[in-house]
Amino acid sequence: MPDVLRPVELIAEHGADIPVSGPHPPAMRFPAGHAADDGRLVRAARAGDQGAFSSLYERYGRVVHALLLARVARDEVDDLVQDVFLAAWRRLEDLRDPAAFGGWIAMIARNRATDFHRRAAEHVALPENIESPGGASEQAEANAALAAIRGLPEAYRETLMLRLVEGLTGPEIAERTGLTPASVRVNLHRGMKLLRAKLNR
Amino acid sequence: MTPSHDDTDRDQYLWDGTGTPDPEVARLETLLAPYRHRAPFVTPTPMSTLPGRAVHPRRRFAVHAAMQIMLAAASLVFVVGAAWFAHAVRPSGWTVQSLAGAPQVAGTTIAAPSRLPVGQVVTTDNTSRARIDVGSIGVVDVEPNSRVRLVTSRAGEHRMALDRGGIRALIWAPPGLFFVNTPAATAVDLGCAYRLQVDDRGWGTVRVETGWVAFEYDGRESFIPRDAMCATRPGFGPGTPCYEDAPHGIVDALTILDFSPTGDVRRKQALDTVLRQSRQRDALTLWHLLSRGTPDERVRVYDRLASLVPPPASATRDTIARGDRRALDDWWSSLGLDSASWWRIWKRKWS
Repeated sequence: MPDVLRPVELIAEHGADIPVSGPHPPAMRFPAGHAADDGRLVRAARAGDQGAFSSLYERYGRVVHALLLARVARDEVDDLVQDVFLAAWRRLEDLRDPAAFGGWIAMIARNRATDFHRRAAEHVALPENIESPGGASEQAEANAALAAIRGLPEAYRETLMLRLVEGLTGPEIAERTGLTPASVRVNLHRGMKLLRAKLNR
Repeated sequence: MTPSHDDTDRDQYLWDGTGTPDPEVARLETLLAPYRHRAPFVTPTPMSTLPGRAVHPRRRFAVHAAMQIMLAAASLVFVVGAAWFAHAVRPSGWTVQSLAGAPQVAGTTIAAPSRLPVGQVVTTDNTSRARIDVGSIGVVDVEPNSRVRLVTSRAGEHRMALDRGGIRALIWAPPGLFFVNTPAATAVDLGCAYRLQVDDRGWGTVRVETGWVAFEYDGRESFIPRDAMCATRPGFGPGTPCYEDAPHGIVDALTILDFSPTGDVRRKQALDTVLRQSRQRDALTLWHLLSRGTPDERVRVYDRLASLVPPPASATRDTIARGDRRALDDWWSSLGLDSASWWRIWKRKWS
């Protein structure tokens, strides 16, 4: 049976503060309680409460990490995660809807990755220098898996990074990305199907 | 096609980790888990606090008290944050690319993005523009008829010189890592976007779009927030900052106060203008004037600023006339702009 559901992109509807290209993002809803908590934390951080911003980092650090890892070589990702959160901290006043923090910072992360490639592309080919705690074969296997995930459509690779690398469950992914659980499930299912095909080729 | 029981079970494990583990998913989890995000949170620096938040007068005392408590911790955080970033930002070098026309590096027109070695010069004619990637901490656009040099590029310090012309800098590093030398003063990025112009006489102007910039020369300091500007002159250093929407006459009056000798007969009228025209928002300007000019002028500034923003207990006429730094800092904290303590700590590091 042909796939009738397209991948659902991890783009929030509230992120217009940060310019983006491409099609209009699909409608998304963050769970009311979760978004309200984000809004409270953003307002506290704006008032100078660094603990509140730490909480936002705890909530979204893995999401930002996964989005970057889906696009950028592993040894660049940690620095870029910090870049993204520093940028968010500085531009917190620009976020019109505090409850939209999740989608907003995800968009900053995507743009930061794009910017990184724009700068790097003309000069150096990025090495994938992953130091695995396992042996050489495991390292090669991990490299291959990451490369395969990165070769998937954007929504699949982001969702799979969150699930397989960051260890989030589907419901957790939905909560932190604003996607509906059904969309996450679709992305996981179809993404994993494509990934199996790539890895078993 | 109806999914088999195995398919359903595999999807359940993929969905939430329950049910019978899918061997392939479990294997991938094991392989990839070491690459999970574990980096500790690096607290944003205090200067990253967005400036310009309006503080209601009734809240000012509460805010002030809270700020005092936070200052010590914030200062420590700043040092730690800057130290982290100094190591995190690798000195990956600067690159230059053309945005328009035919900009040159070391006298050679650049046809493709090029490395900018330390000591080399980027020049643009009246039809050229260039973009410099400053390591991984920001970008600098070089406007037409400009000449900039790369002075230093290493972890912890990125420094360029603007000999003439204009630049627009957008820097996302923490405060105190990016510097622009001009003939009259050094601009120190405090996390911001700004435009800097220097004419053939070496006279400069900075206009801040977001964040803050500090200007420093020979112990004279100016702090310029978003929507404000500040002039510089060789031999004088930075002038007094003022907001772009400052009332009529203030900019011209500040030019006289900043760049004329203390015996200039125009000074009294210029100060009259500044004091008469200042709004509460212009407390930024008046605060800088507290430590400039003659003792008599400072007393007049004190009285006017006190009428706009009540001074803290430490800021008396006497302490301000003596240039007491704590009194100045305390009053700065009362302005509802930002703390000056980060500056004292950070300045020791780079001066």
